Amino acid sequence: MNYLDNMFATLPKTEQIKSIKEDLLSNMEDKYNELKSSGKSENEAVGIVISEFGNIDELMKEFDIELDGERDELPTLTEDEVNNYLKVNKKWSIFFGTGVFICLLALIQLILIPQIIEDGVITDLSENFNDDILLIPFFLLIAIAIAMFTYAGMEMSFGKYRDLEKRFKLTVHLRKSIENKNDSFHPTYTRSIIIGVVISFLSPITLFIESAINEDVSSYGVVFLLLIISIATSIFIYFGFIKMSYDTLLKIEHSNSNREYK
Amino acid sequence: MISSDVIRGYNDTIILYMLLDNDSYGYEISKNIKELSDEKYIIKETTLYSAFNRLMKNGYIESFFKKETHGKRRTYYRITQSGINYYKEKCNEWELTKEVINRFIKEGF
Repeated sequence: MNYLDNMFATLPKTEQIKSIKEDLLSNMEDKYNELKSSGKSENEAVGIVISEFGNIDELMKEFDIELDGERDELPTLTEDEVNNYLKVNKKWSIFFGTGVFICLLALIQLILIPQIIEDGVITDLSENFNDDILLIPFFLLIAIAIAMFTYAGMEMSFGKYRDLEKRFKLTVHLRKSIENKNDSFHPTYTRSIIIGVVISFLSPITLFIESAINEDVSSYGVVFLLLIISIATSIFIYFGFIKMSYDTLLKIEHSNSNREYK
Repeated sequence: MISSDVIRGYNDTIILYMLLDNDSYGYEISKNIKELSDEKYIIKETTLYSAFNRLMKNGYIESFFKKETHGKRRTYYRITQSGINYYKEKCNEWELTKEVINRFIKEGF
């Protein structure tokens, strides 16, 4: 039923139009089935159904007068708005990814620093070392991360980009250009996911290397393992969010037109 | 086959006639028009639905949903009292039109 979808592509997507489209589809299916059962071939039946469909302009003319007002309800995004949205979203992804990374870093240092001290790298502290001191960098890093989350969150939610979670229209031209950007981003996305997965899988290697070199200081291995996993997590988050911003821009329109027919 | 240009002013009348005796839905109406006209007039889908919309706007017909036995939901149409009045007017108009046009038609030309 692509034919109907194409025919209705230019019409505003209101409830009224949607219901007419459904009726038309059901009529055309009835007609098609009847033609088929009266012995027509599939091609003939489709041909007759389409030839008796008429001219979509006729419907448009009929509805234009009523729909002029409703049409403006869906804001059309300008190219600037779209680019800005993508830009802000990218910034947000960086902040969010980095924030998560810093959080994990805060945990990692809890393991790393006692180990360093134990090994006597920082000799001065080793005598009167207190475990509580570790909590200072821990909370410091968490605070930085929270600041980043908050900043990124404000940028996103207080902007006009909130509207994007709802509905909007894209011009055909703009949609195409977003699709192109999305297409060219896709390989990068795939690659980043593969890299993330691969290094996550390989991360236990650090443990083996560590124990090969020196059996005692295996906590360095754990630190490296966590560090690698943190990097992978940040990669997932960063690229994941960028992917999501493209999806938001493209999907809403998709779901509008695809929902109606399986 | 009759061209849609000639018949345009009477699509509404034809549809109203189809609804006079019983409520009906899009496909049934177009099928009946085709049969009743001995396949000389086939109404296009878009013409039919423009007419439905126009008739509803004017309050001549109203629509409602009806579930078929096999579960398909259809939009049915029902003629209203003002629709019946309008139909009568159109019938009178046609009688007059026919009479006038006939005076300009040369038989056996």
